[in-house]
Amino acid sequence: MMNDAASTTETSSAPAAEKFPYSSQFVAYWYFLVALSLFVLQIVLGIWLAISYGFTIPQDIVDVLPFGMTRAMHTNLLVLWLLLGFMGGAYYLVPEESQREIYSVKLAYLQLVILVVTGVAALIGFAFGWTQGRPILEIPTLLDFFIVIGALMFLFNIGMTILKGRKTAVTGMLLGGLVFLALLYLFGMPFYRNLTIDWFYWWWVVHLWVEGAWELVTAAILAFVLIKVTGVRREVVEKYLYLEVGLFLFTGIAGTGHHYYWLGTPDAWLWIGGIFSALEVLPIIAMVVDTFLTTRREGAKIKNKVVWYFAVGTAVGHMIGAGVWGFVHTLPQINYYTHGSQVTASHGHVAFYGAYVLLNLTMFWYAIPKLRGLARFKTSGAYWGFWIMGLSVLGLGTVFGVAGVLQTYIERVMSLGFMTAQEQMQFWFQIAIFFGVTLLIGALVTFWSMFIAKGARQPTDG
Amino acid sequence: MSKRSAFWIFIIGTSISLAIFLWLTYDTHRQVDALTHTENLNDQVVAGKHVWEDKNCNNCHTILGFGVYYAPDLTNVYQRIGAEGIIAAVQRPEEVFGDSFRKMQNLNVTDQEAEDLVAFLEWTSYIDNNDWPPQDSDNRLSSEERRLAGTGLSRGAIAFKQNCMGCHSIGGAGGSTGPALDDIGDRYDASQIVKYIGDPASVEPGSKMPAQNGVSQEDREAIGEYLAKQGGGQ
Repeated sequence: MMNDAASTTETSSAPAAEKFPYSSQFVAYWYFLVALSLFVLQIVLGIWLAISYGFTIPQDIVDVLPFGMTRAMHTNLLVLWLLLGFMGGAYYLVPEESQREIYSVKLAYLQLVILVVTGVAALIGFAFGWTQGRPILEIPTLLDFFIVIGALMFLFNIGMTILKGRKTAVTGMLLGGLVFLALLYLFGMPFYRNLTIDWFYWWWVVHLWVEGAWELVTAAILAFVLIKVTGVRREVVEKYLYLEVGLFLFTGIAGTGHHYYWLGTPDAWLWIGGIFSALEVLPIIAMVVDTFLTTRREGAKIKNKVVWYFAVGTAVGHMIGAGVWGFVHTLPQINYYTHGSQVTASHGHVAFYGAYVLLNLTMFWYAIPKLRGLARFKTSGAYWGFWIMGLSVLGLGTVFGVAGVLQTYIERVMSLGFMTAQEQMQFWFQIAIFFGVTLLIGALVTFWSMFIAKGARQPTDG
Repeated sequence: MSKRSAFWIFIIGTSISLAIFLWLTYDTHRQVDALTHTENLNDQVVAGKHVWEDKNCNNCHTILGFGVYYAPDLTNVYQRIGAEGIIAAVQRPEEVFGDSFRKMQNLNVTDQEAEDLVAFLEWTSYIDNNDWPPQDSDNRLSSEERRLAGTGLSRGAIAFKQNCMGCHSIGGAGGSTGPALDDIGDRYDASQIVKYIGDPASVEPGSKMPAQNGVSQEDREAIGEYLAKQGGGQ
């Protein structure tokens, strides 16, 4: 399939006349460009982290470039670029759904500048030890306020566009997800005296984002893309949107309990967390089934093969990373041994990539050729990027998984020391460096073919 | 099924899950004081939590299993290495982890900050968190003891494995923070080792090992007897 794709230059985007119907949609281009650039930076830092695991870093280097600092950058870049990607996705799809221009284009650009400057300030701050010190939510309180300002501008802008235009289930779900997402961020801002309460609300942000609010955004974006590229009737897609998101929230909200097993919280969470997170795989399976079966039953004709490829990839990646990996790891009886080990790192990499990186790339591949005004674009880069990155992340998931099982057995079952386990795991981290490099290559191929590849003309609008 | 019924399934499903979640959240707030012993959560513990956050500890270590997996979980570190061990590790990491293949950066922790951190980690170690992590669990250790007893290991070997091997090794098995003890019996006899465990500097002035106050007298004697046999002599 790859050879086939590589050798042909197929017409894959819409004809030039269609392009993008509302000129304000062009805002999304800059969100996508910044987002994908940050993804590349995130991978570079990730490779350094893998080197830190795989080899001894001399004390002199550790003192200036400590692991914790680069790790904070790695994860914050992830969150920042995925959110910028979602925001760009929203700015692209909302005008088409609402059938009107974005409420304020200037506000959209100003918001991007505020968020990017705040993000860069945070990264530089980490290098100088300016941190709130809670993984993923390290951004200091002062900068948090700028994030909130940027988020409020975004919600206002998108909200006004949606409310003044045609209302669809897709935009309703998107707006609901975005408001939910922003509200949850507030729980991560205060200082909590009690460590247990601190982590309790940390998961309100992190879990309820990735297994709640982000799922709403994902489902809305996927529904938009499915309507556009498969030609399945809106009525059908929107019905499944409600059912899937309903299942996601039914299992995902109470499923937060799988983080409250060993935290100093009541035992009831073991039952609720265990049962609901076992069910969390259902909506993900439903999404795969829905993507395949509805399109087949409805006799859909795929108009954009690349986008369809990534959409199916998202559904399948979601099932592998979040579904299967998550399922085996959240049963209390297993989690007692695997909790806080590299098994979590394995799950985290595959799940974030499978669900949210691929979702963003699906939207990017739908929108960017149009935004660049390309009537035709070379699709081989998209396919190469898909497979190189996908296999690299599966490779990362596998080596972290093997390392995690070793750690679980040596440290948790045999009760040997932490470093004894790490010595046995070192080899696998050296392999992780290799997959990190191939992932970087895949990301660069994607970046090149998305933003630079020949055939590009000057964007006609914006 | 119509889109309208799908919408109501969405609303009802979400509400049920949210209701369960919020009820258990309320229950958590009701029980958390007892589970985390907030009567001991004093200002020094909070000051220690600030140090924990300011020094970005959680981006290498886990605590309660949350955080990053680059360095050991610190939920029960106070039981494992005690106040002196914690202070030594945070103030002189380049010495304490000098032989380790993974280093810890020097965070310029002041004496006051180190003490606050100890208070925080001591409080943390008493959180009632369903006996996690397994390697520190009392239940596990007793079953481990039974298993090892079945293999014919002496009480001293078992006690050594449980208390010392995080830092020391014998025959290549064990930690590398402290020296290997393969020939320790050539240098000390059993009673010196027992004394060393309780007060290292009294036997070897300048020793960096923290006093092992968490090890019972019976275990110290068993370890002393076991270690005195290591090496060529005695």
